[in-house]
Amino acid sequence: MYAVEMNHLSKIYTGGKTAVADMSLMLEQGEVFGFLGPNGAGKTTTVKVLNGMLQSSEGKCMVFGEDPAREPEKVHAVSGVMTEHAQMYNHLTGLQNLIFYGAMFGIGEEESRKRARELLKQLELADAAGQKLSAYSTGMRQRLSIARALMHRPKILFLDEPTSGLDPESAYNVNQMILALAKEQGMTVFLCTHQLRYAQEICTRYGLIDEGKLLTVGTLEELRDGVSSGMSVQIRADRVPDALEDALRKRAVSDRCRNTEQTAGIREFTFEAASEEEIPHIVSQIVESGGKVYHVSASRPSLEDIYFALTAERRQQ
Amino acid sequence: MNRAISAIVKKDMWEITANRQLLLMIVIVPLVLTLVVPSIFLLSAHFAPQEMEELQELMGMLPEEMQNVETEELMVRLLMNHILPLFFLIIPIMAASVMAASSFVGEKEQSTLETLLYSPLTVRQLFHAKVLASFLFSMLVSGIAFLGMILVLGVEMYALTGVMLIPGISWILVLALLSPAVSLIAITLIVRGSAKAQSVMEAQQKAAFLILPVVFLIAGQFLGVMLLSVWILAGLSAVLAVLAWVLLRTSLAKFSGEMLLGNR
Ligand SMILES: Nc1ncnc2c1ncn2[C@@H]1O[C@H](COP(=O)(O)OP(=O)(O)OP(=O)(O)O)[C@@H](O)[C@H]1O
Ligand SMILES: [Mg+2]
Repeated sequence: MYAVEMNHLSKIYTGGKTAVADMSLMLEQGEVFGFLGPNGAGKTTTVKVLNGMLQSSEGKCMVFGEDPAREPEKVHAVSGVMTEHAQMYNHLTGLQNLIFYGAMFGIGEEESRKRARELLKQLELADAAGQKLSAYSTGMRQRLSIARALMHRPKILFLDEPTSGLDPESAYNVNQMILALAKEQGMTVFLCTHQLRYAQEICTRYGLIDEGKLLTVGTLEELRDGVSSGMSVQIRADRVPDALEDALRKRAVSDRCRNTEQTAGIREFTFEAASEEEIPHIVSQIVESGGKVYHVSASRPSLEDIYFALTAERRQQ
Repeated sequence: MNRAISAIVKKDMWEITANRQLLLMIVIVPLVLTLVVPSIFLLSAHFAPQEMEELQELMGMLPEEMQNVETEELMVRLLMNHILPLFFLIIPIMAASVMAASSFVGEKEQSTLETLLYSPLTVRQLFHAKVLASFLFSMLVSGIAFLGMILVLGVEMYALTGVMLIPGISWILVLALLSPAVSLIAITLIVRGSAKAQSVMEAQQKAAFLILPVVFLIAGQFLGVMLLSVWILAGLSAVLAVLAWVLLRTSLAKFSGEMLLGNR
């Protein structure tokens, strides 16, 4: 059984806006799936359809074999959802909130309290457990929402921008926690995010969506193969021979990298090299023509590079 | 499932008592209706009965067997069993609508509705839990108000005239049938009236407009009826109970539709 199964899923809002268009996607159990795409791409809409908050316009979807359009409550029993629109009660404390939502899932008070304390500790909210939610900061609320979504130990966790309001340390912790849940408990994670660097650290597979359409799906390696075969090399130097510069520009990984920075003749560019062997060759060319090289680095394209390459490709079409 | 429903009921009750302003209203209205006004009436009936001419007319309409008691006692009975029950109905209406507005619209206002909807309860179960919370709250407030009233008026009456005050059969109808029925009607009207309301305030204002005419209508119609016969009162209570039931069923559809409306 797949954790998530979407078959030609479409969602057209009543105003006529197509937010999800003919999406087909299967997620295996235990995957940490990164769902990426620009603002308004349709990520949140997809999560809502998968959890029965919205009815799909066409197509079908299943979450752990349950149809959210027909029996959303059965999906909810196995899924934990965290979105920015799913808030908690301001006049209750963090702990009281978690115990309340535990009860909503039929968990007894004692057990709820135990789980809540554990989660609060993991999310570094133990000190704020007795504080009313109205006294929580944005980041604290967000972390409490993650705790809330985990109270009933779901098989699949839907996270819509879980780390966008968090400071770097908290974001790191949350990511480690998600990773541990997936590894140790085999939890499936459906992660919508813009924070590509974090996504790259924890996701096992990615889907890129734009204007409701699923552009690509695959592991980081598969996505890399789709956009480039070699390495992405970054060079900062001055007095680069014109011929070389032109040649390198043509090999830029994406539009974004073609923008060379020019401070007092110093240029920075990122281009794609077929292999490592090419790098010393290019460097010596610059040096021999009297240029100074300040920085050279080579890496495989990051998720961010791939994202830009793919969205740029799409815009050209 | 029962655990979830009782958690919602408890949470909603807690929420309303945490709101000073609402709590004040819920305490003051019954206090005035069941204690202050009746006490004033009792005192004036005792010390200046001749000034209450309008009541003398009403008393003339009472059944014969009631006519041969003393004027003061008759007046008090008239108040106790025929007039007060009508005004008493304002209490369950008020309590139910304040609670329903806070319970239904409050979730929307705080963006907690979506979180509730992610629970394994069906929309129908959520609706029932919410209606139950408002209903129980309204019954609780009415019950306390009634007991308080009986106690205080009983003591006052005994001190003034030495006569024991015994609530008539109409109170049984009011407490057992009429109050629950009007509570449910108020709750369903709030659910309907507040479909588009985005804040609790707005819903309550709307609710007041919805409910005031109901109160006056009932009061106007009943004042005569109450004097005639308990049976007619019983019949009307039954009709209202049926109406409450029908409204409840149709509001469920409205509620589920509205839940998703904001998202569509
Ligand atoms: N309730 C609604 N009614 C009509 N259109 C909507 C509604 N909600 C979203 N949309 C539209 O659907 C599209 C997809 O929105 P969605 O919220 O799914 O995007 P997203 O990928 O989550 O974006 P973001 O990264 O900004 O969160 C957008 O164009 C948006 O304007
Ligand atoms: Mg979104």
